[in-house]
Amino acid sequence: MSLSVQGLTLRREGVAHLDDVELEFPRGRLTTVIGRTLAGKTTLLRTLAGLLTPDAGSIALDGRPIDDVPAWKRDVAMVYQQFINYPNLDVFENVAFPLRRRGVAEPELGNRVRATLAKVGLAEFQQRRPSQLSGGQQQRVALARALVRGAPILLLDEPVVNLDYKLREQIRSEFRGLLTSASGAIVVYTTTEPAEAMMLGDTVVVMHEGKVLQRGSPAEVFERPASATVAEVFSDPPMNFVDGRFDGGCITVAGAAPLAAAGGVSSLRPGDYRFGIRAKDVRIDAASPLSGRITFVEVSGSETFVQVDTPFGALTLQLEGIHDFSLGEPVPIALDPRRLFAFDRAGALVGAPSR
Amino acid sequence: MNGSWFRGYKLAFLLPALLSLAAIVLFPLFFTIAVSFSGWDAVTPGLNWRGGANYAAMAGDARFWEAFGRLAFLAIATVLLEYLLGLALALLVWREVKLRRFFRVLFLVPMMTTPVVMSVLWRTILHESLGPVNDILGHLGIPAVPWLTSSLPAVASVMIVEIWQWTPFMFLLLLAGLLSLPREPFLAAAIDGAGPVRTFFNVTWPMLLPVSAGALIIRLIEASKMLETIYVLTSGGPGTATETSGYYIYIRGLRDFEISYGAALSITYLVVMIVALTIIAKLLVRAVKGKAA
Amino acid sequence: MNHRLFVLGKYAAILLWSAFVVGPFLWALTTSFKTAAGVTGGPTYLPWLQYEPSVDGWRKLFGATGGIDIVRPYFDSIVVTTSASVISIVLGTLAAYGLSRFEYRAGFVKNADLVFFFVSQRIMPPIVLSIPFFLMLQFLDLLDTRLGLIIVYVALLLPIAVWIMVDFFNNVPREIDEMAMLDGCTPFGAFARVILPNSLPGIIVAGLFCLIFGWNDFFFAFTLTFTQTQLLPVAVVALNSSVTPWWSLSASALISVAPLVVIAFFVERLLSRGNLAGAIR
Repeated sequence: MSLSVQGLTLRREGVAHLDDVELEFPRGRLTTVIGRTLAGKTTLLRTLAGLLTPDAGSIALDGRPIDDVPAWKRDVAMVYQQFINYPNLDVFENVAFPLRRRGVAEPELGNRVRATLAKVGLAEFQQRRPSQLSGGQQQRVALARALVRGAPILLLDEPVVNLDYKLREQIRSEFRGLLTSASGAIVVYTTTEPAEAMMLGDTVVVMHEGKVLQRGSPAEVFERPASATVAEVFSDPPMNFVDGRFDGGCITVAGAAPLAAAGGVSSLRPGDYRFGIRAKDVRIDAASPLSGRITFVEVSGSETFVQVDTPFGALTLQLEGIHDFSLGEPVPIALDPRRLFAFDRAGALVGAPSR
Repeated sequence: MNGSWFRGYKLAFLLPALLSLAAIVLFPLFFTIAVSFSGWDAVTPGLNWRGGANYAAMAGDARFWEAFGRLAFLAIATVLLEYLLGLALALLVWREVKLRRFFRVLFLVPMMTTPVVMSVLWRTILHESLGPVNDILGHLGIPAVPWLTSSLPAVASVMIVEIWQWTPFMFLLLLAGLLSLPREPFLAAAIDGAGPVRTFFNVTWPMLLPVSAGALIIRLIEASKMLETIYVLTSGGPGTATETSGYYIYIRGLRDFEISYGAALSITYLVVMIVALTIIAKLLVRAVKGKAA
Repeated sequence: MNHRLFVLGKYAAILLWSAFVVGPFLWALTTSFKTAAGVTGGPTYLPWLQYEPSVDGWRKLFGATGGIDIVRPYFDSIVVTTSASVISIVLGTLAAYGLSRFEYRAGFVKNADLVFFFVSQRIMPPIVLSIPFFLMLQFLDLLDTRLGLIIVYVALLLPIAVWIMVDFFNNVPREIDEMAMLDGCTPFGAFARVILPNSLPGIIVAGLFCLIFGWNDFFFAFTLTFTQTQLLPVAVVALNSSVTPWWSLSASALISVAPLVVIAFFVERLLSRGNLAGAIR
């Protein structure tokens, strides 16, 4: 039982918003679609909802094609990133709107609306207008309206991106509970943040320039990114890339002494590769012969992000604790060879750290 | 939004208005074009084909082309003056002035009045011997001006009446524009110590350029049809001093009943206006885009 | 000191223009109460001091002997203008919504071209259409009727309604329509239940402009009506050409412009509340 799309393509002015997309969204699971802006995430959702017609391809629900079903007959609920509510209706009527359209009458209407409002924590705000609510509250109203009718398909388009940081974390943790309780529904959630995808999704889909690059569990996509692009999109801070050569068991990068390969990259064929290493895995190591100059320091929470300029490129380091560096200071850095990813010339993954 | 299921709705929304307008306007337009190629007049009514004779006659009709010149002058001069006055008025009652809302209502009033009716009144006001204007001028030691009976004053009279009537329109659009301007640039200018004049030229006016362009285009389109004021006030006179294209066409086509000739003149008038106004509109838009960049 | 002068100058300018605006009305007011003596000897201004006031001019308006009937033209103007405005707003709002939300394409004609088609009707000088309208109404037996004029006025006012409402709708986020459709409304349902209730300011602005331009038309009323239907502007101008005394003239002029002056007040309200910002672009 699922929502499936095949060969979905949509082009506008020469740019492919969707490029031969083939996906399956199972019932009762939350699928996160992650990608940069303009990767095609919103276009995908709008096509699923019936607001856009693709140039090619088909959509089927439980095996039955729904391409000819207009948007107002597909039972799809959507939450937008801008807080969309009906401005002239109060909160109660906003949430009751879809039920009224389906002919649900009192007392059932009132019960369902009040129950859903309670679930999102807005029970006391029934008489208010959306314009009198804060951003977070408006988004909760939108969410309540999406949940109240128990639609089989629930689409959320970066719903927390316009909320401030603390609020985002709070609502995200509520989402997990709310969305799984929408049991049996097919939930698709788009985001640009890997952390969100890791936290919410049963399955992660990585999109880039209209194409699906990889689909799998968050752990799988994180530890075995199918390509350098996936690795770039699905890590925060972005993965560091260094071009180098593998020969005779050693990795040589420009301007540095060869490193002995270890772990997943030890059995590569000799040749040029793009090596990737996460910011967490680059360390400050006095014993290391490699060094670079500090170009940027940022303390964030209990971590310090440092950007270092080296002969083989700029690297970002994520260090635990709060460190004090001065710009221009030379630091010795070490790349742990056991934590290296290797991507071939086409960008495909050929070596990764063992789990 | 696209999709085959929207098609019915797309048409239902648009077609009633589109078809109504097409039916009411396009058929008469094509009819006029057909008439312009006929010889319809008081003596020989009906659509009898005469080829381009009317247009040939029109080419040699100096009075017709002079009328265009007068129209161009009147339209452009009055619209420019209306713009300057309207801008000044909008700035005056924009903020900080006592009773500004009362004055805003007052300044809007002329635009709401019926132009022909006011022209009838203005005719009595500008009357050489019985009207108040010359009387007041007399008390100030200025000799009486033959407002409606002498060429240049007649042109001035038409301009005065038009300006009285339509400056409020510019005033409305510009004031709406002013009221929707963001506060920040003005605060920045105040912090930089700019006085009212500098603030106007460096902050206010540049931000008003889009609204100004729109207002100028709209007023020019309306002013290019100038006819009613002239009909009541001066009847195109004295002589042909205030005769615009519209008035001349009225004389030849409707009053003298040279229907087909009038039709040819009308079509030419329409085409010239469309071309001229489209060019002016594009120029204005480009000027605004350039400055705003 | 400079600042003081500046402020004084501002008020002086305001008062100067106010005098210019009010002047004609005051003149009409005093003149409407004059008799022959107050006019023929030269202009007079102050009642009782310079001339003997009389309500003769006003009385003549309401059908007194030898007078002009102003009531019927009033009624005709109201009927024709209101009907044409209502029709224009209904048709225009529907078309404007379509043009704002959907992609139209017929050959090379697209949305922007369609909007231009509507708005450019304002360029059409009335003269160009006067003969064909005359013949068309004659053919339909609608000359000199209110219905005939209403049809013609719809052509004049529809562009205004479309122009204002397209701009207005473009400023309402499309996502609200989409949300309504996902909630189960057809596109028309979304329009009627969600967008329309939120469009009142735009419709009021469009309505006011339609009323103003419709009420004040002279040319078409002049060429297309004669005796059975008479609109106000034509009635007043007809007085101008006959031997009508100035006082009746002034009285009828004042009466005919009074209703719209009231509208000025409402327009200012909308202005101050910021509702006009959208229509201006």
